[in-house]
Amino acid sequence: MSKGLAIIGVGEVPTAINPERSRWDIIYEVCRQAVQDAGISKDEIEGVVTVAPQAQPRLAAEISFGKIPEELGLNGCKDICTCNAGGSSTSNCLRMAENWIENGLAKFVLIPHVTVHSTIPIEDTINFFAQAGMDLQWEYPFGTTYNGIMAMSTRRFMYETGTTEEQMASVVTALRKWAKLDPNSLFYGKKAPSIEEVLSSKMVSSPLHKRECNMLADGGSAMVVTSAEIAREMKVKAAYKLGEGVRYLKACSILRDIQLIADGTRDSTDQALKQAGISKEDIDMWNIYLAYPFGHPLFLEAVGICEKGQAGKFIMEGHTSPGGKLPCSTIGDAIGRGHTGSGVSTATYVETARQLMGKAGERQVPDIKYVYQNTAGGSGMNNIATIWGRESHE
Amino acid sequence: MSNEYKKPIPVMQPWTKEFWKGTKKSQLLIQECNDCQSKIFYPRQYCPECWSGNLKWSQASGKATVYSFTTTQDMVEPKFWADLPYVLALVDLEEGIRMMTRIVDCDPETVKIGMDVEVVFEDITDECALPMFRPVS
Repeated sequence: MSKGLAIIGVGEVPTAINPERSRWDIIYEVCRQAVQDAGISKDEIEGVVTVAPQAQPRLAAEISFGKIPEELGLNGCKDICTCNAGGSSTSNCLRMAENWIENGLAKFVLIPHVTVHSTIPIEDTINFFAQAGMDLQWEYPFGTTYNGIMAMSTRRFMYETGTTEEQMASVVTALRKWAKLDPNSLFYGKKAPSIEEVLSSKMVSSPLHKRECNMLADGGSAMVVTSAEIAREMKVKAAYKLGEGVRYLKACSILRDIQLIADGTRDSTDQALKQAGISKEDIDMWNIYLAYPFGHPLFLEAVGICEKGQAGKFIMEGHTSPGGKLPCSTIGDAIGRGHTGSGVSTATYVETARQLMGKAGERQVPDIKYVYQNTAGGSGMNNIATIWGRESHE
Repeated sequence: MSNEYKKPIPVMQPWTKEFWKGTKKSQLLIQECNDCQSKIFYPRQYCPECWSGNLKWSQASGKATVYSFTTTQDMVEPKFWADLPYVLALVDLEEGIRMMTRIVDCDPETVKIGMDVEVVFEDITDECALPMFRPVS
């Protein structure tokens, strides 16, 4: 029995549109990087828990039926598993790894993810994202899309809180400012669009403009995790999991209103903070993963960082941007990173770890001790809140 | 008719067929639990509140208000291209039920949250019609 969980190694390839690069090439690279970063040998990996790749059935089957340890020669591997909960898959991989480690089944567990969208025929991709997470009886026949569902939540949120379209656009500007500093972002080094540039991009699904929607991309990342106790003994830089809170909302968008989302977000966050024994004022970086801009002001109001109706103004004033007093989503969420299916949640955990290990380069939040990170799956079916620290609390 | 319709057809369950039969008669049916009196949407095999199988159907008035909406203009499957732009909406029925639908028979620019709308059925196959909503004139 070895309690607690710590991320001790990370690996990642830049998110890009790169059809030349095969999925297995990416798996090799991210896994090798993560194992080397952890300072262990490949044969010390005793479990591989993979983030389910979406819209890639052949790859999902290969991984779920055990190909990774064999292909990579992880000769000490005792078992494998794939976790699928859409955008919250990675949180479940971490839980599974924690369980294996606590039960003595594994000492080090590898958690990889890869998605290559650009080699999937475009009609298959559109069809996948039109149907995945949609109800085939009560939503899909009307012509729903992810953008459409998020657009309706965005409009309702704006209506209830008085948030303006300029304030909503400023969320994109803030996230893209982080992305500009992230060598692994699709938008690395590229000037963040101004509020005017966001609002002048083509309307996709009102009130969402093209720049407020995600761009599909290819990417992969991996983490090596072990117990908190072992991480401490190894004296390596690590991110320690300190708390977790979860709430299931509803799968079908017709059964989720803004209040339900806000309540679930707040309750899961409070639960995670309580378990970690800290308060929200202790959090140095809010690593929010909600895929669409409206999630950010909704989140800040739901957890009580901003008063109702004030989060849009707060974001527009730059407080969540690089250099701001409340850094949020330092890889820029899916808007800034490029959308890699379930992989945005993996990339966000990798960033949580990098920040706490002091390896976040130009995005490094100074003197960082605690990071909050959430994930959500489907079209917003749940909220998983986690608290991570630079040091273990045990 | 069913040979001509190229867009997605609702994938029914045995316990939802009654709802879709109603749409062919221009009736918007909602489920109610005889045991706990919950109003249920979407239709289930067992009441989602108390798990009773003792459920009945009642006809909704068809009057609703717009909870939220989006004018869809781009990035949809080719099968929906001919419909662009279309107004996708969530509407709240008088009976306390929220449904996904489209707002039809009006200029998309005139749609507002809170607007009064009423059901209108668009026949798509021999088995079902889609409940759409239009502004109350």
